[in-house]
Amino acid sequence: MSETVLDPAASAPRASVDPWIPCLLAWLAPGLGHAYLGRKGRGAVFFVVVLATLGLGISSDGAAALIDPHQPLTYLATFDNLAVGPLELLSRVATYGRIVYRLPEDEADPRHIELTDRLRKKVRSVTFEYGNTFLLTAGLMNILLILDAFDIATGRKD
Amino acid sequence: MIRSHFLNLVLFSGLVAVFFAFLTQNDSRSRARVILILGGSMVVLSLIVAYVMYPFPLP
Repeated sequence: MSETVLDPAASAPRASVDPWIPCLLAWLAPGLGHAYLGRKGRGAVFFVVVLATLGLGISSDGAAALIDPHQPLTYLATFDNLAVGPLELLSRVATYGRIVYRLPEDEADPRHIELTDRLRKKVRSVTFEYGNTFLLTAGLMNILLILDAFDIATGRKD
Repeated sequence: MIRSHFLNLVLFSGLVAVFFAFLTQNDSRSRARVILILGGSMVVLSLIVAYVMYPFPLP
């Protein structure tokens, strides 16, 4: 049965809602923005799907991206990782043993050596590419959820 | 850790299909149709591409 039929009020935009609140909630926990807007079932499905995607990424030896100023695409990958919200910290700790976002520029820096060693261990895993794909997809999904929550809150979408 | 390429493919396709079904559709029937069409085509097209690429790299 249609979610709209079950809860007709859910299809109407919440007039008094600041659209940034559901966006922030959607970033804090996937699906929470939708739940806040009255779409609890849909929000629960999104939470499970994004969490499963993230979990598969971590268990498949995917690596959280680090910002490397010499490689501009790492900015995008790190932004994508961050889009999952606080849950992203799990993948970062699983990859590097701590919360770190930037690779030191000096290649002789012991921190640079340690981080690249940890990354190489992941890269050697046969499922590394799968893991990375799952991790990046979880981020992309949550970006879409944040935008969707914004559209619902502003009445652009039912 | 799942080492099977095919299982990873099916899981990935399934998750993406469910995500887009719930993102773009409002009723159960439409969602089921999107899951079947999107998930199925991701799996089938990947297998076709894999089959076409099988001879590469050329000896």
